Amino acid sequence: MAGTGPEELPPAAHTIREFEHGYEEESRLRGFRSACGFVTATWGLVCPACGARDLAEHALSGRGRIVAGTVQTVPSDEFLNDAPYAYVVVELDEGGRMTGWMPGVRRDADLHLGDRVRWRPSYKPGVIFERDDGAAPEGRP
Amino acid sequence: MRETWVAGAATNRFGKMAESGREAGARVALAALDRAGLRPQDIGVTFVANAFGIAERQAHVGPLLNSALGIPEVPSCTIESACSSSSAALHEAFVHVAAGFEEAALVVGFEKLSHLDTLAATSYFAVGADYPFEAHNGATFPGLYATIASAHARRYGTRTEELGAVAVKNHANAARNPHAHFQKEISYETYLNSPMIASPLRLYDCCPFSDGAAALVVTARETFPSPASEPLVIRASARAGSLGDIHDRSSMTSLPAARLAAEKAYRAAGVRPGQIDFAEVHDCFTIAELVALEDLGFFPAGEAGRATREGLTARDGQLPVNPSGGLKAKGHPVSATGASQVAEIFEQFNHHAGARQVPKTELALAHNVGATGSSCSVHIFGHR
Repeated sequence: MAGTGPEELPPAAHTIREFEHGYEEESRLRGFRSACGFVTATWGLVCPACGARDLAEHALSGRGRIVAGTVQTVPSDEFLNDAPYAYVVVELDEGGRMTGWMPGVRRDADLHLGDRVRWRPSYKPGVIFERDDGAAPEGRP
Repeated sequence: MRETWVAGAATNRFGKMAESGREAGARVALAALDRAGLRPQDIGVTFVANAFGIAERQAHVGPLLNSALGIPEVPSCTIESACSSSSAALHEAFVHVAAGFEEAALVVGFEKLSHLDTLAATSYFAVGADYPFEAHNGATFPGLYATIASAHARRYGTRTEELGAVAVKNHANAARNPHAHFQKEISYETYLNSPMIASPLRLYDCCPFSDGAAALVVTARETFPSPASEPLVIRASARAGSLGDIHDRSSMTSLPAARLAAEKAYRAAGVRPGQIDFAEVHDCFTIAELVALEDLGFFPAGEAGRATREGLTARDGQLPVNPSGGLKAKGHPVSATGASQVAEIFEQFNHHAGARQVPKTELALAHNVGATGSSCSVHIFGHR
């Protein structure tokens, strides 16, 4: 019986690195949509809702609403110099949710569930959101 | 499948250990064996839980533990399921013994993190989340549970007083537990005045970083008929999983793994939630206890906070919850926690729990969560 060589493995439609590369280098957020309508901005090869493997690339604008969040005063080492800051879960306009952080949101009173936010490319780690008042982001048309 | 027991259980005092995890693990293992009336040589397999062993520069610790117990020939492996590691190890031991592969199995969970500072410990815990999609976006563990609290408050109106009631209750229980990390009661004012860690979670909403060790001896009744203590019959040993990231789950106010594991456990044991006399649940943060009580079917969704404020989950309430003090106040030495919940149930069933003894001990449930609910174990125990 023939063995299973590396070339016979199912192809990876995308990699975890591509997510980070997207927001760090390509000014885009990667998302995927399955045939059943499940949208995710998290890496995976099979849809957890319907089991489909043909996850299609799904453009994400990075705009949406905060559905859960917290202001953290005790950070991990990567964020040592930015605390306190908000960590938020955002329901995206194109469906699905993603997480990110909001530098400068230092008090619970400044974090409002339901507020509109947008992704802001940055040299800092991770996905950064800022309040979306409808105006064009600074430095972008 | 044959009837399978926890015939012996032991835990040390949680808090700060001078000795290594490996040393503490070997000592609690001997204590559990003594209570079961067994020798190390009676053990057929050892399942070790030590998720953050690398913090002590030690992996593959099972053979070292077995060597210290004088049974180097006995196979072992380390079971890692974040904070549910030792309940996952108990499940593996149950499967081995109930299926007849072994006559007796040893479960040992231990963790030592107190030599790390808060920043290092917070960073270690953050890697138990989905690192690229949660921790790298700023989340800490308190932050992740804070998003659950935030979503729970938004949906059900959960209030600070309800979170505080969990903390006050569990500290009161831990004050009566000589194994507990924190052996002092706190007032609601003390809770309220504690610093915010990840809003709405204050310092006293959070479990401490604890060192500790706990061990269980799992065996089959007909093999060893004379244990020194009344054994627990494992009526159900169930595990389940959820999507790894909270934000991708359809609901952020419930842990699907807990609901699934509970359904499996109730079905296997042939009991309903209302028949459980007391429970040890995974209260790494106060919100986690409320979500647990709702996921386990003890209270309707959104009602556990009110029930806690009304004293229904107090030691003398209709359903005592966390008589040990829970992770919140007994402490949370990650990989010792699940086994220590069962050790508490063992003490309660044998009426050795002293000032924290609960009145009814016919059926008890242990609920142990890995990370933010991507893993969950539910065990149900009864008498012979």
